Amino acid sequence: MLPKLSPLPLKERFSLLFLEKGRLDVKDGAFVLIDKEGVRTHIPVGGVACLMLEPGSRVSHAAAVLAARAGTLLVWTGEAGVRLYSAGQPGGARSDKLLYQASLALDPEARLKVVRAMFAMRFGEPPPARRSVEQLRGLEGARVRALYENLAKQFGVKWTRRNYDPTAWNSGDVVNRCLSSATSCLYGLSEAAVLAAGYAPAIGFLHTGKPRSFVFDIADLFKFETVVPEAFRIAARKPHDPEGQTRRACRDSFRKKKLLKRIIPAIEDILAAGGKKPPPEYEDAVKPAYQDPEGLGDAGHRG
Amino acid sequence: MLVIVVENAPPRLRGRLAVWLLEVRAGVYVGRYSVKTREMIWKQVEEGIGEGNAVLCAPAPNDQGFEFATCGANRRLPRDMDGVRLVSFLPQGELGEGEL
Repeated sequence: MLPKLSPLPLKERFSLLFLEKGRLDVKDGAFVLIDKEGVRTHIPVGGVACLMLEPGSRVSHAAAVLAARAGTLLVWTGEAGVRLYSAGQPGGARSDKLLYQASLALDPEARLKVVRAMFAMRFGEPPPARRSVEQLRGLEGARVRALYENLAKQFGVKWTRRNYDPTAWNSGDVVNRCLSSATSCLYGLSEAAVLAAGYAPAIGFLHTGKPRSFVFDIADLFKFETVVPEAFRIAARKPHDPEGQTRRACRDSFRKKKLLKRIIPAIEDILAAGGKKPPPEYEDAVKPAYQDPEGLGDAGHRG
Repeated sequence: MLVIVVENAPPRLRGRLAVWLLEVRAGVYVGRYSVKTREMIWKQVEEGIGEGNAVLCAPAPNDQGFEFATCGANRRLPRDMDGVRLVSFLPQGELGEGEL
């Protein structure tokens, strides 16, 4: 008999894979994409952090089960890779991590410390002292606008502002379309990382109130280092396939910057900046009846 | 870099290997993983190989620059020549343990 299939750590995986037009199924235990001519393409599902399914793909029950067991996030996307829905790698596997994250978000002092740590990580210098979260958000916005303008100047792209209409994709200008495609790559990867680390995507610090607030917090740490310059570089070339080229450029930049190795440690670092210990177990807690064998995967991977 | 070649392997093992590796030719799987992950994958091969046989090649910090491991019976047998690992090819009919 084959040993149990369990997830691999995120840092050993390939970042993203976009799949379109075909049926995802399982043949002899392998994850395959079958097109309408019956051509089968094996997908090494366990070696990818996040599979992006584009319109025109169908997923069988067995394929979703295999993706879940391999700990791979499936993201259903709309036109040009904009995210719609995700599944396959359920989060919330670690109550200790969730309680720790929530305890930081609930304590105003700890939350401010986390937000300050994110600011410092993002801009390479600590934020000015005695600022509220709201004031830091304002400072951040001003810096981000300046970064966009600088990049536009550097690559010779006309820039008005970050602007897009999610209901009418083709209405945006090229640079905004490249940016949307680029950020959705980064969000897919960040969501996979937040879930793999065992945290809740909805409990954010700078961003709040969205299902993926924490994902946006984490993605912002790396956004201007990885995907945004790529989007401007691609937009400056005026390609006929801006979204596709942007994706490929983003994947290269994830690899060059070793993002998959860095992203989970970065999540742990900014949460640790909150200065709280993970909540202790209750004394009357009853231990699980049996301990699951430890897999190779990350903390939040099931099995 | 990690290469695994399987012969006469059950389909469920071949499918399992395709979860992490790319099958570039029939029975030839390629990927790039850490040592720990490689050991996990090789354990799957050892447990699932059945009547077949398999070989794994991976880089290693030795003179040859690579190492290999085998499981199941094959006419080609690994042979240690003063710390250098080579392969001996048995004549037909004189097969290793449990040969085909």
